[in-house]
Amino acid sequence: MAFLSIQSVSKSFRTDGVETEVLTPLSLDIDRGELVTFLGPSGCGKTTLMRMVGGLESVEAGRITLDGVTLGPPDRRRGMVFQSYAAFPWLTVRGNIAFGLKYRTDLTNAEKTAITDRYLDMVGLKAFADQYTNRISGGMRQRVAIARTLASDPDVLLMDEPFGALDALTREHLQQQLLGINEAEQKTTIFVTHDVEEAILLAHRVVIFSARPAQILSVVDIGAGLGTQRDEALRQSAAFQSLRHEIQDTIRVEYARAREAEEAHAV
Amino acid sequence: MRLLVFRTGLPRRTELILGLAGLFAFLGAWHLTAISGLIKPQFLPTPWAVVEAFGRLFTERNFAGDIAISIGRVWAAFTLSVVIAVPLGLMMSSYRAVGAALEPFVDFVRYLPVPALVPLLIIWFGVGEASKIAVLWMGTFFQLLLLVSDDTKRVPGEYVESGFTLGASQWQIMRDIIMPAALPNIVDNLRITLGWCWTYLIIAEIVAASSGVGHVIWSLRRFVKTPEVMAGIVAIGIVGLLTDQAFRYAHRRWFRYQRR
Repeated sequence: MAFLSIQSVSKSFRTDGVETEVLTPLSLDIDRGELVTFLGPSGCGKTTLMRMVGGLESVEAGRITLDGVTLGPPDRRRGMVFQSYAAFPWLTVRGNIAFGLKYRTDLTNAEKTAITDRYLDMVGLKAFADQYTNRISGGMRQRVAIARTLASDPDVLLMDEPFGALDALTREHLQQQLLGINEAEQKTTIFVTHDVEEAILLAHRVVIFSARPAQILSVVDIGAGLGTQRDEALRQSAAFQSLRHEIQDTIRVEYARAREAEEAHAV
Repeated sequence: MRLLVFRTGLPRRTELILGLAGLFAFLGAWHLTAISGLIKPQFLPTPWAVVEAFGRLFTERNFAGDIAISIGRVWAAFTLSVVIAVPLGLMMSSYRAVGAALEPFVDFVRYLPVPALVPLLIIWFGVGEASKIAVLWMGTFFQLLLLVSDDTKRVPGEYVESGFTLGASQWQIMRDIIMPAALPNIVDNLRITLGWCWTYLIIAEIVAASSGVGHVIWSLRRFVKTPEVMAGIVAIGIVGLLTDQAFRYAHRRWFRYQRR
């Protein structure tokens, strides 16, 4: 069985007595150490599915297992990085990164300090260790959040459009940094985005979602086409561009279908 | 130099000069009205007469002692409000059941005018210190409870969810995330609530007291000692101003991280 397994999971929300289906029953297996990106139109339900993996939304139908065991409420095994910078403003950069470690009874203080230093270094924020987080840029704050999550050593890293609010140059820089981190840490990762290039650049596999209610349109194996060695130059390669066109076409067709369905519904 | 610039700041010096100019314009207008003879000095003494009366309050009677008693009452009641309202407000926002159970009742009590409760509280607690503290407590506790509940409710959901995924328990999230995240706003609301305490204190001291600033003002009224009555009011203003500034200073020091 796969490391992380999503099995016939569906979801609906009830608002004002109206039942809205967000996810049609869908299944997906993710291997240990794999980085999977969820790509789809905004509001399609891909974030909801990821939050269900994180235990932040209830799973009412189907089940999600980690290492064969059904997942429940949120815990340290599934770390989450949000789009809004969730670095704590009352703590310094170091205090933020060390935050999750203070609840660990299995580590000595020396080990906790060593882990904090390691991730401070990994995200390149050593020089800012004693700064409060509202004195550093948005990109740095997001690096703090990533380091904080990695420091608590989750089995699965969940990232909800973490670079969505950043400017293009900072975003590229952080994408490269994430690739480096992923190579070093080999973390099983789900990365939600609506940016096609980002989805391809980072992923071993891209999972393309339909408009709401979400179902999986296709799963594209990027690793088979591009290999695991990724850098900025790859964007210009023919293989990358042909993948980008292929995925964009899939999404374009889906948008047109969803719009037609919506208009037919409105009439 | 142009002073009226739309929605733009001014140098600190200019602001200070304008503030003093406003104050002196008020005092000047007051002085001129008082010496014009249009209003009898029993009703409107000159500003200087009030200053002299202020000095007399301290030399001829133990006004410093009355101020100390009033401050003591305010802080006793305020502390009692805070130590209950902060944890209870946190529980109200954390557990919907606690909020649902308390909100209708708290909203009801919150709208009761405190002076209307004074007779009842005197029946219950007599004319001693307990009834004064009860009046102040009634006036601040219920307001503060809702303010704390709102402040803690406004802590971003991502902070709380980050806490869970970093391995914190509910209790640890309350202590290590919700409290520090809401604290700057809570302290700000404490500062505002403390100001209300003074309003209710004077009411309590006028109705039934043999000491305190309110009692002094009320008893001097009987002898139409207008300058002393005004001096007493000014004293409350000064204590209020000093407390407020102390709170602001503490806020700046404790929450230095909020400054960019």
